[in-house]
Amino acid sequence: MRQDAESSARGFRALRAVPPLLLLAVLAVLPLFPLGPNTVKLLFLTCVWIAASVGWNILGGFAGQVSFGFAVFFGLGAYTTAVAINQGLNPYLTYPLAAAIAAFSSLLIGLPTFRLRGPYFAIATIGVSEAVRVVMTNIDFTGGSSGYRITEHGPFRQQEHYFTALALAAIAVAISILVRHSRFGLGLRAIHDDQDAAADSGVNPFTSKLAAHAIAAALTGAAGGVFARYAAFIDPEGVFGFHRSVGILLMPVIGGVNTIWGPVIGGGVYGVIEEELVAKFPQFHLLLYGGLVMLIILFEPGGVMGLFDRARRFLLRRRLASWQSS
Amino acid sequence: MTATDFLNLLIAALLLAGTYAAMAVGMTVIYGVMKIVNLAHAGFLMLGAYFVYVLHERLGIHPLLGVLFAFPAFFAAGVLVHWVLGRGVPVSDTPTLASLLLMFGLWLVLQNVGYLIWGTEDRFILTSMTFATIRFGDITIPKIGLVVFSSALVSLAALEFVLHKTWFGRSIRALIQNRYSCRIVGIHVERTARLTFGLGVAFSGAAGGLLALLYPFSPDFGRPFLLRCFVIIVLGGLESFSGVFIGALILALVETFSILIVPSSYQPAISFSLLVLALIVLPGGVAGLMTRMRSRRTA
Repeated sequence: MRQDAESSARGFRALRAVPPLLLLAVLAVLPLFPLGPNTVKLLFLTCVWIAASVGWNILGGFAGQVSFGFAVFFGLGAYTTAVAINQGLNPYLTYPLAAAIAAFSSLLIGLPTFRLRGPYFAIATIGVSEAVRVVMTNIDFTGGSSGYRITEHGPFRQQEHYFTALALAAIAVAISILVRHSRFGLGLRAIHDDQDAAADSGVNPFTSKLAAHAIAAALTGAAGGVFARYAAFIDPEGVFGFHRSVGILLMPVIGGVNTIWGPVIGGGVYGVIEEELVAKFPQFHLLLYGGLVMLIILFEPGGVMGLFDRARRFLLRRRLASWQSS
Repeated sequence: MTATDFLNLLIAALLLAGTYAAMAVGMTVIYGVMKIVNLAHAGFLMLGAYFVYVLHERLGIHPLLGVLFAFPAFFAAGVLVHWVLGRGVPVSDTPTLASLLLMFGLWLVLQNVGYLIWGTEDRFILTSMTFATIRFGDITIPKIGLVVFSSALVSLAALEFVLHKTWFGRSIRALIQNRYSCRIVGIHVERTARLTFGLGVAFSGAAGGLLALLYPFSPDFGRPFLLRCFVIIVLGGLESFSGVFIGALILALVETFSILIVPSSYQPAISFSLLVLALIVLPGGVAGLMTRMRSRRTA
């Protein structure tokens, strides 16, 4: 009897891995169908946003340290890849480099700012990201505010870009799952709930937050790199701008912070809204995001994942009620 | 640098400091009572600027009168916002991330409503005062700066009066000190919080109107000033009103005199770096630093 329950639990756990793998498989074979360049572009960007969003969630969701400054890592990743490709480095080697530079800069930012807590940390990150943007618009080496062009020889293969982004998004989700279920992830969760209690029970909040920041920054930086190679032209306002930080923050909030799949859903929603709405109503999308954030905070802090949870509980209760009445 | 240059810069810094103090005080009031980091402050600054602009352009109302009208209008708007957001803006002991994100969402909404109505181009309010100067020998004082400075001081004096001489003001100060004791002595915490939110927003709107007299503005007007507000209230120790003056003075002096050392394109980075520095080095603000030094001396 007990063995039965155990094996069914294992079976259930294995079953839970099916939908994500199925989704990955569908996304992987999708470009084989004639979709048109616009759809592939939408899919590509969505994957890039998912990678950044999942990265942000490791620090902002798991550890509960909300940062308004992730454009710094996205931008640094983008510029690292851009400069490295122009120096003749293989594009696939530039992504780890972008991740490394972003992670290194995250340490430089984290060392002073993690002495602050909660909202003070959030405010400090606004300051850091604006300062970095101002510096980048003034550096001559990368063309300053007029932007930087990537010259790559050979034909433009959109599908290759798409597969790179998809792989990155899959790696990001895998890292997120690994972190969540590791001892380190438990420590982050403890910090999220109560930093002092976590410190008392043997978690070092400072180093844990630094590590989470570095992982998050590396993923965001790699996403910036993948984005830059596709865009072939980047400028400080585009990759370092405040709206970029805002976007990276909004995705997990919309999808559901502190979950594995929330940031993925949020990234998908954000990608579609960005592509479909921005061209038609340039200001409307930020208005929509603002309204969404307010509604989410007021009514469903769990975001889309929270809504799912609520729907599932509602259905369960209904089934239970009908079973009792029969 | 000659002595006259120095004096001119000093005067510019002082004029700027007065405006900055009026700008930051709305945020301080709200933070002090509710511990809400009001990111929507930037949105209200922007709306204040357009409020004065529209009254001036459409109805021909003098901008200073417009600033005066902004107080009741934005007070009502603030109370309304607080009522609509309801439990999203609780009175708490420590700032919460939920209220921070909520205010951030409100800012996005306000900013983009601004874009929808007024578009992206820069606007400015031109009056006969805008380019006028007053001269004392070699020292020149921009007339508009002086006018804005005096209006800021008058409104701050009015606030001081309300805070110290009325029961509403006393309950605000009591709430800043201890929310639980307030209940014991019979202060209606929620109502006071609502009115305080209105007061804070009223000051944001009016300060936005004053800033609009000095600078061109677009719907993104509030963002650089929001960061300056953070610098000021962090330097000032977050909930002290006298701290706001000190913070505003420090920021204005640093911004004005840094022109001599730092190239102008790097100028915006100064307040941001000062913000991070202040948060890390001076967690209690200048006032906190002074108490610490005093206690060290006695110990």
